[in-house]
Amino acid sequence: MTTDSNSSSSESDDQNPNSNIDQSLDAIENQLASISMSSHPPTATSLDEDVVDEENEEEEEEEEVEEEKLVSSVNGSLNEEIVAAQAKVDSIEHEQHIETNCKPGSSSSSFAWRDTTEAEPPLSPSSSGYAGERGSTSGGDDDDIGEVEHDGVLGQWVSGKRHPDEDDASVSWRKRKKHFFILSHSGKPIYSRYGDEHKLAGFSATLQAIISFVENGGDRVKLVRAGKHQVVFLVKGPIYLVCISCTEEPYESLKGQLELLYGQLILILTKSVNRCFEKNPKFDMTSLLGGTDAVFSSLIHSFSWNPATFLHAYSCLPLAYTTRQAVGAILQDVAGSGILFALLMCKHKVISLVGAQKASLHPDDILLLSNFITSSESFRTSESFSPICLPRYNPMAFLYGYVHYFDVDTYLILLTTSSDAFYNLKDSRIRIETVLLKSNVLSEVQRSMLDGGMRIEDLPVDPTSRAGPMYPHLGLPRPATDSSGRIRDAHVGIGGPAGLWHFIYRSIYHDQFVASEFSAPINSSRQQKRLYRAYQRLYSSMHDKGMGPYKTQFRRDENYVLLSWVTQDFELYAAFDPLADKALAIKTCNRVCQWVKNVENEIFLLGASPFSW
Amino acid sequence: MANMSHNNLNAKLVLLGDMGAGKSSLVIRFVKGQFLEFQESTIGAAFFSQTLAVNNATVKFEIWDTAGQERYHSLAPMYYRGAAAAIIVFDITSTDSFERAKKWVQELQKQGNPNMVMALAGNKADLEDKRKVTAEEARIYAEENGLFFMETSAKTAVNVNDMFYEIAKRLPRAQTSQNPAGMVLVDRPAEGSRSSCCA
Ligand SMILES: Nc1nc2c(ncn2[C@@H]2O[C@H](COP(=O)(O)OP(=O)(O)OP(=O)(O)O)[C@@H](O)[C@H]2O)c(=O)[nH]1
Ligand SMILES: [Mg+2]
Repeated sequence: MTTDSNSSSSESDDQNPNSNIDQSLDAIENQLASISMSSHPPTATSLDEDVVDEENEEEEEEEEVEEEKLVSSVNGSLNEEIVAAQAKVDSIEHEQHIETNCKPGSSSSSFAWRDTTEAEPPLSPSSSGYAGERGSTSGGDDDDIGEVEHDGVLGQWVSGKRHPDEDDASVSWRKRKKHFFILSHSGKPIYSRYGDEHKLAGFSATLQAIISFVENGGDRVKLVRAGKHQVVFLVKGPIYLVCISCTEEPYESLKGQLELLYGQLILILTKSVNRCFEKNPKFDMTSLLGGTDAVFSSLIHSFSWNPATFLHAYSCLPLAYTTRQAVGAILQDVAGSGILFALLMCKHKVISLVGAQKASLHPDDILLLSNFITSSESFRTSESFSPICLPRYNPMAFLYGYVHYFDVDTYLILLTTSSDAFYNLKDSRIRIETVLLKSNVLSEVQRSMLDGGMRIEDLPVDPTSRAGPMYPHLGLPRPATDSSGRIRDAHVGIGGPAGLWHFIYRSIYHDQFVASEFSAPINSSRQQKRLYRAYQRLYSSMHDKGMGPYKTQFRRDENYVLLSWVTQDFELYAAFDPLADKALAIKTCNRVCQWVKNVENEIFLLGASPFSW
Repeated sequence: MANMSHNNLNAKLVLLGDMGAGKSSLVIRFVKGQFLEFQESTIGAAFFSQTLAVNNATVKFEIWDTAGQERYHSLAPMYYRGAAAAIIVFDITSTDSFERAKKWVQELQKQGNPNMVMALAGNKADLEDKRKVTAEEARIYAEENGLFFMETSAKTAVNVNDMFYEIAKRLPRAQTSQNPAGMVLVDRPAEGSRSSCCA
């Protein structure tokens, strides 16, 4: 698999000790040589004012973040004592609970929280393929230079291609931390995240040379490490996808991102685009992707904020069970009449979806579909009817998608196989709209957006007693005023019970996940992105085929305690204060799981899911 | 199939032309009275409707604003099939877009409905100093091919409504619409169940 030295590695044995590949690698390294990762250029003067400005901004933000963290750590540790005292009461039964859940499937040990890194001094860098973040040593460590920061909620992110004026000779281009390229097997550029594709022809040719050289040897190149850079390759017939990154994301994650990028391409063009290359190997595909820069850049952006991109699960907008049922019923009603899939979505979250007969929709398709629609301004202007291919459903053929926005965030997608179904679908939309308006669904959707999802501050002390439909939103009164039985008051602004900062819960059966809202101290988009990357690494280490699969993991570094727990039913990933107590953290995870189960009616789409058929 | 009841006419209209020629801008000017400097490229096709009163009758246009992007060319028939009228749009500052417009005219002459009302719009007329296609050459081309021609500007609104009015006036009236050909007017299934959407 991968090697850590500055050498190429390929799937099978490295039997190609060969000057050609070395030359190609040299070429790549030369082109990347000036991408210095270790620190800010101390005197980043002149040349590219844009880049310098943005870097400075990032630096400031970074400093802010560090301060925040310091404060919260101090509070966090005090905090734990309080929690410890309060949590003793319900500790015993929860431990039993966690044991029984862990036993099935784990052959050797009945229940072991795997404690891999706790023994290491908190500030030590990574080992065993798990790289701790080193955010404090260098400003802008984890961010792409010049990337407009985005908090994933407010959506101030700028769409479209940024810095199209750059090419591989620009200093700023070389400094970008994560490049994505799509090129053809003849070396023609198809897409580049930064810079104009056509100006990158030489660079494209270099990448192509590496890939085809190895391919000609009957082998396949997957990963090249060059210093701090990883170059990940994905070959899809005549289309090559490449990611060059110094973000220290695991290979599996980067490969998954390339797969999604390819899926997005297929969604727009279908796999039949391959035929163009059969006719003419030098075919220039860029013209076929005209006007889609925003789609790709928004997908790439989601690689750093949307857990769906690595969990391969979708998330739902929290809604009262009966509300979601009502939506499901009307969608089901229209789905019979020539509609293959009907989805009601709010931004990237599902409100409800149904599939005709046995048709099922893959979470990746949902991700790519909603990315395609939300990133294209065109769909907001008017109702539209467009060819759309779902790569996981059928990569060879177009479906036809009717898209209509009910309000700024909420939109309906009706997919059919028939190209002349527009007026049918329009009628269906009118029927759906009537029902949604009558039953107030759209205003409930708006309210849910304002209320947000699960907040760790609201984690009930004893979730078993807090279930039930008496609370309107996620089992909680809102605004939260009661203090009895909840430890929220003791934790205002300091990160919640037992130093719990954030969690992601993935229901395997439902193909869905829920992530808690970000709250202190994970406030800034920078912090959120760092945590996101930490989850990503945790996820891929839990699913590492070589070492895993693990059942549980407990990791401590200077940023967090990370805890993960994988069972047949669910996966839980949780981040705690770095000083959090292990036993307490485990207890808290049990409470989170119980809480999720208590409110699963509201946070997941149940029953109607086509996956369960 | 009764597309004409009393003096009301439903007419399917399709806009074709190179990407960036201003198809969406023209429709949005006509339907919403607005103009955006940054109008995003259309995906697939967007649907609009707008009703006009012409000579004590009303014409309800059902407008398909198609995408000019190359990847959608092969899907165009899906949108122009059964259309009563077409506006072929080019950008007077781009000779390429004029060439592209001629290709669309050819395609419609071959594949489209022979009674289709066709208009040629030389858009972005406000950009006189960047003009590459003269009004004269476009007019001659239009005359030779049985289209009517107007120079328009979605930005300043010049000739935009006029063009749609002109099309409405030229649509075949009641007599022709009842001919068995049935392609002049919109061909929609389940006509009766749609009452709600026309409200
Ligand atoms: N100056 C000027 N600009 C215009 C005019 N009409 C459109 N534009 C601009 O030209 C650009 C393209 O216009 P669109 O309406 O999106 O073109 P389109 O034909 O719909 O393009 P596709 O959807 O890609 O096929 C936009 O930036 C518009 O603002 C016009 O009359 N005058
Ligand atoms: Mg358009």
